[in-house]
Amino acid sequence: MRITLFMAMTALLTMSPAAAWAQRNPKKEAEFLITRPVVGDPLPELTVYTPEGKEFKTADLRGHYTVLTFGCLT
Amino acid sequence: MLVYKSLAHPELVGTYVQPFTLDERLAHSQQAIKELGTTMPWLVDQMDNRLKHALGDRPNSEYVIDPLGKIVRKRAWSNPGEVRKDLEELVGKVKKTTLPEDLKLNVVPPLAQSAPKGDLAPIPRAGLFPIVIKPQLDKDGDLFYAKLRCEADPPLIDEGKGKLYLGFHLDPLHRAHWNKLQKPLRFELTAPEGVKLSATTGESPKSSSENDSAPREFLLDVNSWPADKTIQLTVAYDACTEDLCHSVKQTYVLSRQRDQDGGRAKSAGFRVLTLEQMTQRLLAGDKNGDGKLIKEELNSIQQSRFLDYDFNKDGVLEKDEIQTMAEQLTASAESKE
Repeated sequence: MRITLFMAMTALLTMSPAAAWAQRNPKKEAEFLITRPVVGDPLPELTVYTPEGKEFKTADLRGHYTVLTFGCLT
Repeated sequence: MLVYKSLAHPELVGTYVQPFTLDERLAHSQQAIKELGTTMPWLVDQMDNRLKHALGDRPNSEYVIDPLGKIVRKRAWSNPGEVRKDLEELVGKVKKTTLPEDLKLNVVPPLAQSAPKGDLAPIPRAGLFPIVIKPQLDKDGDLFYAKLRCEADPPLIDEGKGKLYLGFHLDPLHRAHWNKLQKPLRFELTAPEGVKLSATTGESPKSSSENDSAPREFLLDVNSWPADKTIQLTVAYDACTEDLCHSVKQTYVLSRQRDQDGGRAKSAGFRVLTLEQMTQRLLAGDKNGDGKLIKEELNSIQQSRFLDYDFNKDGVLEKDEIQTMAEQLTASAESKE
């Protein structure tokens, strides 16, 4: 089985580590965990893009483990 | 896989501003890939941030999806150490663990503006939040060299009476600057009945620099803005690129509604660490108090940059190396001059 492991290397060097965030924001973390979709739910099927602008369906991620991490330039 | 979405902190790292078009967002994602020197695959969310909204609406959340397309892990804030554990549990241990330095990331600085910042003092924006603006896009029209950032204080958003910030920020993607021989930027607001503003037109002050890139900013008092009314803003300016100046006229529609995807801009309350604070943050990990840092004394994100600053490659960051690291991290968080 192919494993797709990608580290979250966003431009977040000035931010606190994740554990510190979760510790400071236990309520937000708890709310997030019970917000749909929760663990066990299917990944919503949506169309997004590759950086080159080609359409990409989230359903096409099936077939291997994928880590999805949100990020941006800032 | 990184999902690229709206900026969490416009103007914070470099002078990036929220993109208006998908092409601009794609250019941002390509720039981010270049800045991080990464080879991992990325996805880019649609301009309405629908994937972000569909997955809990957090700026840096993380999900693990199994081969059947089912969510098997989620956390509100990405954590590389935890995700590694997740994958060991779900798939098994790997023979060789990839460490941040194995990635050999060729990190490059953010895009700089094409002119110095100049001498116009910024308008303080503490306590202001972005509101929804709709640029009137015309595929045959000029680029949005300068992009409107519109912010309001809570009384204006909640009750229709308060402060309204209008800032026209040059987009570093388009390499334009202001030139003092050109007419200053001017705007005009067209408000329906029931909207009362302290001014409906404005003209930016002139910078003393020949060329500069400072945002052209205005702060208005709004005495009344019913929630169901929109305000039209038209702006005219000359944006100068390398070989010519473009006379541009562009229109926006403003709504009295918080823009949940607008992010918190640097000067609108998001704290940027000073050099001293950044140094203290790095040294907070100095467990044995010797004033030096070994890799294990840094957090996982800082660790990924360890080799970049261990100039003499002795496995320890000494005082001068810590100082350089703090300077560069502070500089990357400040707007580029």
